[in-house]
Amino acid sequence: MSAPQGAAPQLPFLRRLSVLALQFAGLIAIDQVAIVLTPHLPLPLPSNLVGMLLLTLLLLTGLVRESWLGQAAVLFQRHLAFFFVPIAVGLMAYGSLLRRHGLMLLLVILLSTAAGIAAAGWIGARPGLRGRPPAPVS
Amino acid sequence: MSATLLGLAITVLAYALSRWINCRHPSSLTVPVLLSTPMVMVAITLAGSGLEGYRGASDAITWWLGPATVSLGVPLYRHRQVLLDHGVRVAASVVGGTLVAMVTAVALARLLGLEAPLQAALGLKSATAPVAIALAHHVGADAPVVAGIVVASALLGTILGPALLTRLGVGSPMGRGLALGTISSGQGVAQAFREGGEFTGAIASVAMALAAVAVALLALPLALFLGRS
Repeated sequence: MSAPQGAAPQLPFLRRLSVLALQFAGLIAIDQVAIVLTPHLPLPLPSNLVGMLLLTLLLLTGLVRESWLGQAAVLFQRHLAFFFVPIAVGLMAYGSLLRRHGLMLLLVILLSTAAGIAAAGWIGARPGLRGRPPAPVS
Repeated sequence: MSATLLGLAITVLAYALSRWINCRHPSSLTVPVLLSTPMVMVAITLAGSGLEGYRGASDAITWWLGPATVSLGVPLYRHRQVLLDHGVRVAASVVGGTLVAMVTAVALARLLGLEAPLQAALGLKSATAPVAIALAHHVGADAPVVAGIVVASALLGTILGPALLTRLGVGSPMGRGLALGTISSGQGVAQAFREGGEFTGAIASVAMALAAVAVALLALPLALFLGRS
């Protein structure tokens, strides 16, 4: 969307806001479709993940263009943490559990996270796995 | 209604303040979720509403986790070339890393005598938070505990991961991006962009999306295993 010569370089605020609202509506619509689809799938995936895969499929097939949803998607990813802060706040009710098991939980998290990183990194950097040499990503 | 509005205002303010602090002092220890969560806890306690009064706001915000997770399809699509060029390597690393993280977490938790719901929560920890939270009830874990464990795990992975990978001789953008995205989800992707730029970050964001799928698929055998024992 290029502005004509001499016009303001950006779309007027209200228009940008309505474009963004439409993009959010699109992501919500895909999530709602996924919620309906999920119980009929042979695999027990959560609906938000089904929605993610559905969007990927729609983009790959060209039925949906990245430019239709891109701005809303970037905003969601930048602020993903905001949307699960309230769930983390629910930890308030687990004070005694954390006092009792907190250190053990930390130990398990530390060791298994290190093991997982080592495994993923080692496999990912192994020579000989089929693949083309690194190409610049568009 | 007013309790919901108060809760929303508190959460938005706490998040905005956390972002501001994180921008002034960028560090893994000042990521917004780590700062906002205790701020909201203190604020709702001082306001006298507590968790009960916060429920309305919590439900309103949590509803958006659905579309927010859907949006992760965009980076997966945008960086599809990583998958087209290195599909076998990416799949092997994501599945291998996820499996090792899940099995070691559950095995250690059993060894230490932690109860089944905690074992389950620990098993989900390498998925991105919204997916791990959605999986919590599938495996009999509590969502807040899962969220806390995911955040702690992503944080530790982001802080210790880069040095660990260097020590192991994993220097390629491919290996580092895959490891950070698979194990530390969103925080790992941010770290991958910081240390390796566009290519490493692209690999990490593909790995993060696929790791969520891997954890979700492995959650079924995990639930069966925990249910039987």
